[in-house]
Amino acid sequence: MSTRPPTLREKRRYLLVHIEPAGTIIDQKDLYYTVSDATTSLWGDVVAAVITSAVVASEGQYVIIRCQRGTEQDLSVVLSTITTCCDIPIALRMVAVSGTIDTLRDKIRRVTTPDLESPSPRECTFDKKLFQINQCNGQKVDAIEKGFKNTNRLFLTREDLEEL
Amino acid sequence: MKITDASVYPYPYGDSSVRRMALEAKALGFDRLVAADTPSGEFYGIEIYSGILIRDTAVRDLICRIKRERNNEPVVSVQAGDNGFNRAVINLKGVHILRGLHSADKNAFDHVAAKMAADNRVAIDLDLSPLISGRGFTRQRAMHRYRDILVLERRFEFPITISSHARSILEMRAVREITGLCSLVGMDTADVEMALFGVDTITASPDPAVKVIR
Repeated sequence: MSTRPPTLREKRRYLLVHIEPAGTIIDQKDLYYTVSDATTSLWGDVVAAVITSAVVASEGQYVIIRCQRGTEQDLSVVLSTITTCCDIPIALRMVAVSGTIDTLRDKIRRVTTPDLESPSPRECTFDKKLFQINQCNGQKVDAIEKGFKNTNRLFLTREDLEEL
Repeated sequence: MKITDASVYPYPYGDSSVRRMALEAKALGFDRLVAADTPSGEFYGIEIYSGILIRDTAVRDLICRIKRERNNEPVVSVQAGDNGFNRAVINLKGVHILRGLHSADKNAFDHVAAKMAADNRVAIDLDLSPLISGRGFTRQRAMHRYRDILVLERRFEFPITISSHARSILEMRAVREITGLCSLVGMDTADVEMALFGVDTITASPDPAVKVIR
C-alpha cells in the first residue's frame, strides 16, 4: 500500500496533556481506553469516530493525544470529564495544542518543572494521623497516610505542615 | 468582579487542605473560592469565602440556622427540595444560593420560583460534578435540568453560580474547561463569565429602594 500524498492525508492535531497528581504512573494503553470510553460516553459513537483520539506518546507526567483537526475542543471537554484511570484518581490538564508532535516535545522540554525535592522530614502528622510525605514540589506537598488499611492521600502545602 | 468557584469542600470533607485548593485555583484561573465550613481568608492571592450548605432541614430550623450564622457572614446555600420548599427558601432573607436542582423533582423549580429568585437575588447553582463524573442517565438528567434552568434564567434574569463541588484538587477544573463543560448545556462564553461572577452579584449590598438626591 503506497503512502498518501500530504494533501490527501487526514489533518490532525496533537494535545499536550499533564497528568496529575505528580508521581502517578499510567500505562499509555490504559489511558487510551479511558479516553476512548469517556469520548463514547459523552459524544456517542458517531462523534467518537470523527475525533479518532489516540494516545501517541508519553513522557513522564505528560502525554500527547492525537485527534482530527477541528475536534480539539470536543476532545478537551472529554478530557475534563476523566476522573479515574484503572481506579486511580487522576486529572488531565490540557497544556497546549499543536499540529506536530515535535513542537509539543519542545514544549515539554521548555516547561520548567522544579525538581521534585527529597522531602524532609519524611514523616509528618496531620489531624493526629501519621503521614509519609510522598512528593514535594515548591509549595505543594503530597502525603500518604501510613498504615496497612485505609491509607489516604492528602494534598497539602508547606504552610499546612508548618502549622503542626 | 472576581471569578469564583461557588463551592469546594476542603479537608476534612475532602483530601486537600484549603491552602492547597487555593494554590490549585490560582493555577486554574480563579480569583475566589467559596469553601464549606472554612473561615474566610486569603491564601496565595485567592480570596476564600466561608460557605455553609444546609440540607435536609425544615424551613423553621433553616430560619434559626441562618439567624445563628448571620454574624459570620458566610455564603449560605440550601439544598433544593420540592417546589413548596424551594419557594419558601427563596423568600428567606439570608439565603444566597439554591443548590442541587439537578437531583430535585422535575417541577421543583418553575417560573414562579424563578421570578421570586430574580426579585430576591437568590442564585441558582449549576453543579458541574454530574457533568464531570456522572455517566449515562445521571449526566443526561443534569444536562436536561440545566437547560431548563437556563431557559428560565434568560426570561427572568436571576443570578446563576457555577460550582465544581470539588473535594480534591483533582476534581477542580480550569476556567477554560468549565467553559467547555457549560457549552454542553448551551451556555456561551458570556453566559459562563456572568455565572462565574455570580457570587459577586449575590453578596453585594442591594441598591437602596429610595435614593436621596440633594
